[in-house]
Amino acid sequence: MPKIAPRVPMGEQPALQRIKNFNSVPYGYTEDEAVEEATRCIQCKKPKCEPACPVNIGIKEMNLLIAQRKFKEAYLLVKEDNTFPACSGRVCPQENQCEGDCILVKFDEPIAIGKLEAFIADWGSKHKIEVEQAIADNEDKHVAIVGSGPAGLACASECRKYGYAVTIYETLHKAGGVLQYGIPEFRLPKDIVDEEIQKLEDMGVKIELNHTVGQNIYYYELVSQNDAVFLAMGAGAPKFMGIAGENPLDSVYSSNEFLIRANLMKAYKFPEWDTPIVVGEKVAVIGAGNVAMDSARTALRLGAKEVHIIYRRTKEHAPAREEELHHALEEGIVFHELVNPIRFHGDENGFVDYMELVKMELIEKEDGRLSPEPIEGSNYYMAVDTVIEALGTVPNRLFLDRAPEIKRNKKGVIIVDENHMTSVEGTFAGGDAASGAATVIKALGEGKNAAKSIHAYISSSD
Amino acid sequence: MSFSILLFFIALKSYKLNIFKGEYVSFKITQMMDLDSIDYLVDVEAPEIAERFHPGQFVMLMTRKEGERIPMSVMKVEDGKLSMFIRKLGKTSKELRDGITSFENVIGPLGHGIEEKEYGTVVVVSDAVCGHAENYAICEALNKIEGNHIISIQTFPSEKEVYPEDYLTKSVSHRHFITTEDGSNGTKGNYVPILQNLVDNGVKIDFVFGGGKLPTMKAVSTLLAKNNIDNLFTTRQMMVDGSGMCGACRVYIDGEMRLACVDGPMFDSRKINWTRAMKRYSMFKKEEKKADDHYEAHKGHKGGCGSCQK
Repeated sequence: MPKIAPRVPMGEQPALQRIKNFNSVPYGYTEDEAVEEATRCIQCKKPKCEPACPVNIGIKEMNLLIAQRKFKEAYLLVKEDNTFPACSGRVCPQENQCEGDCILVKFDEPIAIGKLEAFIADWGSKHKIEVEQAIADNEDKHVAIVGSGPAGLACASECRKYGYAVTIYETLHKAGGVLQYGIPEFRLPKDIVDEEIQKLEDMGVKIELNHTVGQNIYYYELVSQNDAVFLAMGAGAPKFMGIAGENPLDSVYSSNEFLIRANLMKAYKFPEWDTPIVVGEKVAVIGAGNVAMDSARTALRLGAKEVHIIYRRTKEHAPAREEELHHALEEGIVFHELVNPIRFHGDENGFVDYMELVKMELIEKEDGRLSPEPIEGSNYYMAVDTVIEALGTVPNRLFLDRAPEIKRNKKGVIIVDENHMTSVEGTFAGGDAASGAATVIKALGEGKNAAKSIHAYISSSD
Repeated sequence: MSFSILLFFIALKSYKLNIFKGEYVSFKITQMMDLDSIDYLVDVEAPEIAERFHPGQFVMLMTRKEGERIPMSVMKVEDGKLSMFIRKLGKTSKELRDGITSFENVIGPLGHGIEEKEYGTVVVVSDAVCGHAENYAICEALNKIEGNHIISIQTFPSEKEVYPEDYLTKSVSHRHFITTEDGSNGTKGNYVPILQNLVDNGVKIDFVFGGGKLPTMKAVSTLLAKNNIDNLFTTRQMMVDGSGMCGACRVYIDGEMRLACVDGPMFDSRKINWTRAMKRYSMFKKEEKKADDHYEAHKGHKGGCGSCQK
């Protein structure tokens, strides 16, 4: 086994500088850096990284092409399998997917596949590489897609390639779903999202903004006007702890509200932009997923003096990506493990003043799972003036309550078969709406696969 | 020949520049009237929304690309236009005062509308804080249905703020009461004593719709509970997206969390946990002032002065 060169580090804004702005944290690889990193790939006979990718990008060949400086070819190769490499390269949990299965993990650090993917995507758009897409002639067949998040966009792109007339219905005034309202600018610059969506529109995909299916356009209309419908409205409704004091207290946000204000409504540009956001000096974020990290880091950038992450398990159990947790800690965010809030106390104006916490311990359950249990009598107090609850999300019932014929499970997640078809023939579902809250790349993969099923369905019903 | 080639290239170029691609929907303001009261009356062209609107539903407004999404009640729908009362308060109303001619965005209709059916005797109440628009829309719709007897009560701060007659609910109800907080017109106080009076005088009330200040609604909910009258009240809540994503408008109904935007905006007042009903508006008071000051300082927003880049 030849000695493997160490991973090429990526330049990034120093922590003390970046907490004062919303610019991208990593600078991205230069061409030389990318070539050096891609050269580390040992070109396995049977690459394990590719099957670990939810959209099965030809990673091995991508690395080879980058190493040979054939950037254009590499870009076209990646685009074949993934419509949004610039996004997924930045936000995928690569350590659990491609990079996790990279053979180099055994010897050293894996190939920085995500960073290379982002590099090649940026290179392609910087050099204005046009992807020549053969679009079949099927314009008389219509596909309606509900939601313009990753699943909807991926499905739209694939369906368009099959030649169908595709219309996406989006509730908000900007397309992109979680890429737009959820993931902050410093992690995924919105110019990139806008550009990827523009490319989709250039392919001929129609995007109807401000259209809330179930509200100002009805599901039955979509069904009657289209040959297939794809539901990809995600899991956009916030969960709350439901503990005493969280309401009527001001300054308790859901992470969704906090991030929508900051990202979609650009509250960090207030008052040039109209939507305000209030962040106190001492902020507590409940939860330790990616959304919690995004909220915490956003709060810091909005001027909070101290930001605390409150998590009932230990740091090792935090569902956030390693990189996000690492960036958050580097920026000075304090991580409190094995604690859980039980009550918020307000001041005379109705704002949060302090919260009561209880220490937790992890108890092994019969099934071997570690379950956090409160330690009696360990209660203590912590002064806070803003609380952000990042406890995960559930599917938004706005649409589903108005379309009861679509079967869902108890959690409100749409039930689909192996072809992504719902209980209603011709209506398909994917992304978080059909699998509960998951990742961007999983949604992209499901959107892509659902498009295949939609194509098969429409072709067979001719 | 060469001319047609030129034309072809112009067409191609325009296509690339997105000029011909997709029609830009502008929400034109067709009328902006100072009611000489607390509100402006604003009519906006929004045929798609008008076609699907039901009384009780609301819309979200954005005055400009950088604007906030503001929930707004609709008073009337006619010829593809929505009429709204917009409070003379804060930045949005100043933009109106200074002559914006269209909205960047009008989104809706959102929330559930009321059931348009025969109720019997219906009382609709509202005050200056909330509900005059819903009051009108509900009275107008139910007035058209046979078997409904409609009593409308509207509260204003004082005589000076009472709307011109065309915008009161007088013409769309069978009985109409005005109350003012200082007693300068009609009964003094809010609408609760009038409702109490009707009950005391043996008027059989089948349903009450309404909105208003939190303490007033809390008081009226007690009255309705005591007399077991079915009702729906608008819980005015702060919203960001208006489609169930942010959770800012959470209210507690029978102990369960509900969202005003998706499950409401109207709920049975007897089931609302009023002490938990939020007053999160106060959270952004300082910010509203800041936005207002910023607007005054940079009025015009035409670009060029550069002062907003400091």
